Amino acid sequence: MAKKQHGKVGVQMGKQKSKKITENLHLGVASSEEDDDEAPEEVTFEDSKAVALRSMREAIDTARREKELLKEKRRKRQELFQEQKKRKLLPDDILEEIDSTIPKKPKASKVQAEKAGDGEEASSSGVEESGGSDTDGVEEKGEAKKKKRKRKRRSLKGNSSVMRLKDQSLSSKQQQSALDFIQSRLYGPGANRTTVNQLLSLQNKRALNKTAAVQFVDKQWGAEKKEEAEKFKKRWKNKQGVGLS
Amino acid sequence: MGEFKVHRVRFFDYMPAGIRCMSFNYKTQRLALARQDGTVEILNFSDNYFQEKVIPGNDSRSIEAVCWVGERLFTAGLNGEITEYDLFNLRSKYSLDAFGGPIWTLACNAQGTHLAVGCEDGSVKVFEVFEEKIRFEKNLDRQKGRIVSLSWHSSGTQIAAGMLDMIRIFDVQSGRRCRGCWWTAGPRGGGARCVVWSVPSCRTALAAATRPGRSRSGTGGGTGGGARTHLVSKWDVLCLSVSQDETSLVAGTSEGTVVQFQFLSATLGEREGEQEWVRTRTFKHHTHDVRAVLELERAIVSGGLDTQLVVRPLLDKVEVKSYDTGLRKIHFPHRSLVSCAEQAGLLLFQFPAHLELWRLGESDAHGCPGDSLPVRRKPEKLLELKRKGEEHISCSALSRCGGWLAYSSVSSVRLFRLNCKGNQLSIVKISKLPKVLSSAHQLCFSADSSRLFAASSHSSVHVISLSQSECKYVHTFKPASGCTEPVHLLAASADGAWLATANRACEVHVYSLRKLKSHCTVPVYGSCPSAMAIHPATNNLLVVHADHQIFEYSIAEKRYTDWSRKLQREGLHPLWFERDTPITHVNFNPQKPAQFLLHDMYMFCVVDQSQPLPDRTTQFYNQLTLRSLSEEERPSRSHAFKVCKRFQPLLSMHTLEDGALVVVERPLLDITTQLPAPVRQKKFAT
Repeated sequence: MAKKQHGKVGVQMGKQKSKKITENLHLGVASSEEDDDEAPEEVTFEDSKAVALRSMREAIDTARREKELLKEKRRKRQELFQEQKKRKLLPDDILEEIDSTIPKKPKASKVQAEKAGDGEEASSSGVEESGGSDTDGVEEKGEAKKKKRKRKRRSLKGNSSVMRLKDQSLSSKQQQSALDFIQSRLYGPGANRTTVNQLLSLQNKRALNKTAAVQFVDKQWGAEKKEEAEKFKKRWKNKQGVGLS
Repeated sequence: MGEFKVHRVRFFDYMPAGIRCMSFNYKTQRLALARQDGTVEILNFSDNYFQEKVIPGNDSRSIEAVCWVGERLFTAGLNGEITEYDLFNLRSKYSLDAFGGPIWTLACNAQGTHLAVGCEDGSVKVFEVFEEKIRFEKNLDRQKGRIVSLSWHSSGTQIAAGMLDMIRIFDVQSGRRCRGCWWTAGPRGGGARCVVWSVPSCRTALAAATRPGRSRSGTGGGTGGGARTHLVSKWDVLCLSVSQDETSLVAGTSEGTVVQFQFLSATLGEREGEQEWVRTRTFKHHTHDVRAVLELERAIVSGGLDTQLVVRPLLDKVEVKSYDTGLRKIHFPHRSLVSCAEQAGLLLFQFPAHLELWRLGESDAHGCPGDSLPVRRKPEKLLELKRKGEEHISCSALSRCGGWLAYSSVSSVRLFRLNCKGNQLSIVKISKLPKVLSSAHQLCFSADSSRLFAASSHSSVHVISLSQSECKYVHTFKPASGCTEPVHLLAASADGAWLATANRACEVHVYSLRKLKSHCTVPVYGSCPSAMAIHPATNNLLVVHADHQIFEYSIAEKRYTDWSRKLQREGLHPLWFERDTPITHVNFNPQKPAQFLLHDMYMFCVVDQSQPLPDRTTQFYNQLTLRSLSEEERPSRSHAFKVCKRFQPLLSMHTLEDGALVVVERPLLDITTQLPAPVRQKKFAT
C-alpha cells in the first residue's frame, strides 16, 4: 500500500508541474497576442530556436504523461477488480484453516456434503474452494495435501456411501460379515434355491385337486384386476346405453 | 345354536419368524425355542405343548444358539453376547460380551457347570456357571476360521468343534487341541468348502452335519479313524440331534426333510460290537430349511424357516395309540395378538414392530345363513403405530369403547388416547404415566374404560385410573401365595367389581376392585389356564385350561357353579380332549346369556349351558345329523357343544356389542407365500 501511495503522490506532483508549465505557456501566448498590434519585437534566432525546442519537449512530455496517466488508471481499475474479487471470497486465514482441517475428518465432511445434497454438488463446491485458495496464493501447504484433496474429491464423485460412525464399530462389521456368511451359504450361488411361488405351483401340480395358482389368489393382484374390470364394465354399460338411445 | 352375523377378517398380516434353534430341558419338560427375530418361546411339553412364556425379541439381539443350564436359560448370538434370561420377568437378565466376535454356538456340559461358546475369531471360550452369573474361565487353543458348532463329550473332558472343512477335538483340562482332526470332504472331494453346521457327540460316536448333505459318524477319540459317511441329501444338512440313550440320531436338511439314523446291527442276531449306524426313516413335514431338530424320548421335534414347530411322535416307542401319538404342528402363538373394541367395532393388531388399528366394515343387507353379505363400507386401516426403540412389543390392549390404546415393551408402557369422530382420528400420547408402569406382561382395560390393569413382575397387577385429564395410580394387587410367575391372562368383569388374573403357575386369583383387596383364589388345576373371562350378567368366572378342561367358578359364592360340577361329574366328551390346539379366547353371547363361545385354531364352539351335556356315546360333531332330522326330533339329539369349523385357521374371535362375531383368520398359504426361498427339488413328471 505504501508503494501505491507513493506512486499517487508522484502523479500529483507531476500534475502540478505540468499545470505550472502550461500556465507559463499560456502566459507566453497571451503576451504575444496582446502585443499584436504593436510592432513585431525583435526575436533572435537563438531565442526562437530555444522556444521551439522547449515546446517540442513539452509536447513529448505531455504525451508521455498522458500515457502514464492512462497506465495508472488501468492499474487502479485492476486493483479495484482484485479487491472486489477478494471481498467475494472468504478471507485467507479462514480458507487456510478449512484447508488444514478437512483432511483430518474426511468422514464428517463427507456426511455433511451428502446431507447438503447430491455428491455432484458437494464435489463442485470443493473444487471452487480449492481454486480460490490457489489464486490467493496459499500454496505453502505443499504437494502432499493437494494429493489428499484430489483423492477425496475422487471418492466423493464415485459411488460414495454414507455410513454412520456408530455403525462402523468392529463388532457390527463382524456381525455383518457373519450374517453375510450365512446368507451366502444358504442362499448364495450353488445353493440351488427357487421361489416360493414355484414350490407352491409344483405342489399344486402334484395335488389331487388342482386349484388356481397362488399368485391368482393374491389379494393385491385381485383388487387391481377387479378395479379394471369395474371400469371396463362401466364403460361397456355406457357404450351400450349410447347405442340403445 | 344361534345365528350370527360374522365379520370375516383376513387383513391381519401376521407373519411369524422362522425357528432358529431349540433346546429341551428333560427335567422340567420345557422346550426353549428361539426365532430369527430374537424372540424366545418356552413350551411346556408336559402340558399339551402349551406355549407358556414368550420373551419378546430385540432388534439388536439375534440368537444363534439356546441352551438350558438346569432351569436357567442362556442364548448367544451374532452380536457376540451371551445372555441369560429372567424367566419370571420375561426379559434378559444380563448380557456378557465374550470378546470373540459373533458367537455361533453355545453348549453346556452334561454336569451343568460349564458353558462353551464358539466364536468368529476361531476361539472356543469356556465359562464357568455360578449361582447368579457366569464367569470367563479359559480359552481353548485358538484356530483359524470360525467355530460353527460345538459339543461336549458326555464325560465333560473333551469338546468337539466344527469348523470350515474340519472337526477338531479339544481337551478341556489343558485347553490343548488333541492330535488329529477330521477333514470333512467337500462336494466330490474338493471345490467348495463345507461348513460343519452341527456336531453332536455321544459316548462312542461323533456325528457331523456338513454342506454337501453328508452326515458322518465315527468312533470318538480324535484319531480320525473309523469314520463313515452317509449321504443324506444333495443339499445342506443343517442340524443334528442325538437321542438321550444314544442309539438314534436325527438330521434336518435344507430340503425340509428330517432323517433318522439308528445304531443297529445290520443282520439279525449279530453281536453288540458290530452294530452300525443305519438310515431308517425320513419325515417330510417342512417345506423349507429345517434349522433346528431334537430327538426326545418319544418324539422328534423339528422347526425351521417355515415358522412351524412340528412334533412327530415315534410310533415304535409308544405302546398305545392315543391322542398323544398324533402329529402336532404348532403354527400360531397361544396368546392373543388381536384386541377388539366391542362398542366401537375397532380391531387392534399387534406386530413385533408396530400396531395396526382397523375399523370393521359394515353391511346393512340381510341374508339367510351361509350367505355372504355385500359390504356397504369397507374395512379401513385407521392407524399404524410404530414402536420406539429396538424392543419388540410384548402386549397391547384396546379399550371397549375404542378410546384408549396401550402397549408395552420390555422396558416401557405407552398409553394413547384415541379420538375417533367420523373419519377423523386423532391420537394423543399420555405423557405422564405413574412410575410403577415400567413394563407389563399383559394389559387390560375395564369395561367402562375408566381403569387400566397392567400385569407386572411377581404376579402383581397395577390398577391405574384413567380420565380425560390425567391417569393416576390406584392400587397394586399382589397374590397371597407369593408366586413370582408372570401373569398371562387378565379378565375384568363388566360391572367393574372384579378382576381375575391367571399366572403361569396355574393360579387364578380374583380381586375385588371396589374394596381393592384380594377376594378369593380358584382351586389350582394342574394345567395352565389358556383363556379366561367373567360372565357379564352372572359374574361367573369361566376358565379354560391348556388341556381343554372347562371350569365355571362363581365369584360371589366362591365356589364352582352347578353347571361346572355337572360337567366335571359327567366328564367332557373324549373328542373334545383330542383337539390339537388350545382354546385361546372365551366370549359370551350378548343375546343369549346361557351361551359362551370358545375358539382354537381350527374351530369355534358355542357352548349352551341350558342344553344337556354330551356323554361318551353321543355323537360329538352332530350338526350335519341334526340338520337331516325333523324339527321335533332335533331337541332330543342335540347337546351343549356346537362346533363350527367353517372359519380357519383362526387367530382370534370376538363378539361385538350388537351380537355380531368377528373372526380373524390367517390362511397358512398367505404365510407360506412370504417365506424365504426354498430349495429347488426335481419332482418326477413336473
